[in-house]
Amino acid sequence: MGSREQMLKDIGIVDFTLIELTLYLDTHPYDRSAIEYFNHYSRIKNQMTKEFSQKFFPLTIDMAESNKEWRWGMAPLPWEGACN
Amino acid sequence: MQDYLFDEHFDKYPLAMAYVPWQHFDKMYDDLEKAFHNGTIFPELNKPFTGRRCV
Repeated sequence: MGSREQMLKDIGIVDFTLIELTLYLDTHPYDRSAIEYFNHYSRIKNQMTKEFSQKFFPLTIDMAESNKEWRWGMAPLPWEGACN
Repeated sequence: MQDYLFDEHFDKYPLAMAYVPWQHFDKMYDDLEKAFHNGTIFPELNKPFTGRRCV
């Protein structure tokens, strides 16, 4: 468990890795080893996003499950610097 | 998707056409932060532009 900034940075890095693997797999759809890497990092990213969303604020709308307050609406907005 | 080996079919390639060699998944950076800063997870695609020559 790191700080909010560190966790966001790590999520960005894993997300970038997934985008790269996606681009590769779009032209190599039967590459088993690339698929394995994709599945691996995809699971990690889901886990990290979920962890971040529970600890700080929901990063995507499907992570916005709320109790007393609407967490999605309470989350900091991009122009408030929360995504940097 | 067909896998072209340029060296083996050199004579079959018409002149004056551009070709992109087919990429193979060999390895990716172990250090994903380094990959992120390089803009690619594939070491063989890390080609920084120096303004003078390609690396």
